Amino acid sequence: MFFNVKDVQQFQAQKDFIDTALVPLLSLDFNESKIKQSSSSAEFLMSLTAFVEQQFKGRLMLVPPFSYTEQTKNGLAVNLLKEDLQNAGFKHVLFITCDHTWTSNNEQLEVIWLPAIPLESMDSGVKKTILEEQLKQIIPKLTSKWFQS
Amino acid sequence: MSNNRVSRRQFLNYTLTGVGGFMAAGMLMPMVRFAIDPALQTKADGDFVQTSQKVADLTEEPVKVDFSYEQVDAWYTSEVTDTAWVYKSGDAVVALSPVCKHLGCTVNWNSDTEHPNQFFCACHGGRYEKTGKNVPGTPPLGPLDEYEVSEQDGFVMLGKKIANTRG
Repeated sequence: MFFNVKDVQQFQAQKDFIDTALVPLLSLDFNESKIKQSSSSAEFLMSLTAFVEQQFKGRLMLVPPFSYTEQTKNGLAVNLLKEDLQNAGFKHVLFITCDHTWTSNNEQLEVIWLPAIPLESMDSGVKKTILEEQLKQIIPKLTSKWFQS
Repeated sequence: MSNNRVSRRQFLNYTLTGVGGFMAAGMLMPMVRFAIDPALQTKADGDFVQTSQKVADLTEEPVKVDFSYEQVDAWYTSEVTDTAWVYKSGDAVVALSPVCKHLGCTVNWNSDTEHPNQFFCACHGGRYEKTGKNVPGTPPLGPLDEYEVSEQDGFVMLGKKIANTRG
């Protein structure tokens, strides 16, 4: 499910089944030297999460990405965000990011960290294979979450 | 010169009928064309999309076949990649849509070890038989959709989505 009217309506009707929220945490860096790399990892994260959404449409809602820069990062109350989503009826709230600084407080937040792969130079066939490979890394994390409950 | 000579009157008659005929046709043709236009319009959704899957390589075992087409959403044109599960059933080629009829997840063939030779949806454990028929007692309420299939130069061509005809 995407965060659009049609899907949200379906979520409201099927809360028993759609019980997982996937929140991308997107680091933006506008520094002259880092802006290109930052856009590349943003592109990767967006493509990947859209692909995850396609595979698990009926159980997972892909929340619009929460973006921050180095300076605004501290203002991002991710714990409260998780609480909000849980209050909305999502039993599982997972974060996904390419920014490795999130891995340090992994325990309480459940952040899936993936290294960004530059997709921009690849043709669509290779891109698809790469995304499928990355998806295989995420599936066990999702299913183990689902089997816990 | 032949014996039956054409008189001036005859010559003018012939030329006028000829030229008049062309003019009448020139006026009538567009009118007729406009009148029957709806019948001449090609239907875009009937188009078949070529895949890279050879018909000769297909077996009874469903394989994943990707195909892309362009989709226009307002001013935004994007290339959409879709997938189908394609297999041979006797001589016929069957292409099933991988979209689960429950809430739209993507189903996989043979991915659940407890129920081999079935399509399995990882989201809520929905299962479908090879024909696409939903297994009763699992969440899905209908069979998997099917794609229209044709063949060109030995490659599988996929058309529009239709309701399952096998389940």
